[in-house]
Amino acid sequence: MTLFKTCKPNRLVGVMNKPVLATVIAAAVVLLASAVLAAPLMDIPEKEFDFGFVPQNSEVSHVFWIFNRGDDTLIIEKVVPG
Amino acid sequence: MEKTDLAVGDSTSLEIIFSTRHYNTRISKRPRITTNEGPPDKNVSIHATVIQRPDSAYPIIVKPYKLDISQFGERVRDRMRFTISNVSDKEVSLALVADLPRYAKIELPRKIGAGQSASGEISLLEEVLKQSFEKSFTIEIDGDAKTRFTVPVKRTVKEPTAGRAGAQGKTSGSE
Repeated sequence: MTLFKTCKPNRLVGVMNKPVLATVIAAAVVLLASAVLAAPLMDIPEKEFDFGFVPQNSEVSHVFWIFNRGDDTLIIEKVVPG
Repeated sequence: MEKTDLAVGDSTSLEIIFSTRHYNTRISKRPRITTNEGPPDKNVSIHATVIQRPDSAYPIIVKPYKLDISQFGERVRDRMRFTISNVSDKEVSLALVADLPRYAKIELPRKIGAGQSASGEISLLEEVLKQSFEKSFTIEIDGDAKTRFTVPVKRTVKEPTAGRAGAQGKTSGSE
């Protein structure tokens, strides 16, 4: 007695008509491409700051803002003094 | 830096600290930022004109030229007044182009007449009263980015009662 019947190889194609199958494949390609092409994008609106006159033997500081305008996580690996 | 991993749309601040040491000229620095974007690295730039004698600056002189709001006793020291003198022969307008939003509130006169002096005040925020730090704020004259003055602000906090309290604690512990 046979417990399992084997499916016909073309059954899936038979269930899904061709336009639907094409749409599914296209969506998969788009999703895959977006995952592969996703990239971070660092944006620093103010890239330059002039302190003007500063006294000797003192410490001054300025805060720059960094934004991630991309579509993947931005990782700041290191900042090297110039 | 507050954080190194930025999710999509997220932001962070990067504080660049510049020690003027014994420089006596125009200085530019370009710190380099490396990220997972890949090469080339990006830069920010800072410029400063380090002066040996801030008491002979032009067109304004800020006194004291460094603000030290340190606290070495129990008496809370959370504000300091300073004087800005206009040593030019015309009225100047003043604007803060970089302040200390998380540390202090700064009040400046908007205009100072020729040869006149006016006071400003820095008031520390309550949440930083127990902190030691070195920061600065920058004043721009007449809306001209080439005429700026940066005033260093320093605060050191030492609590002299800590040693005495420790000694008292030992005494009470031995009883």
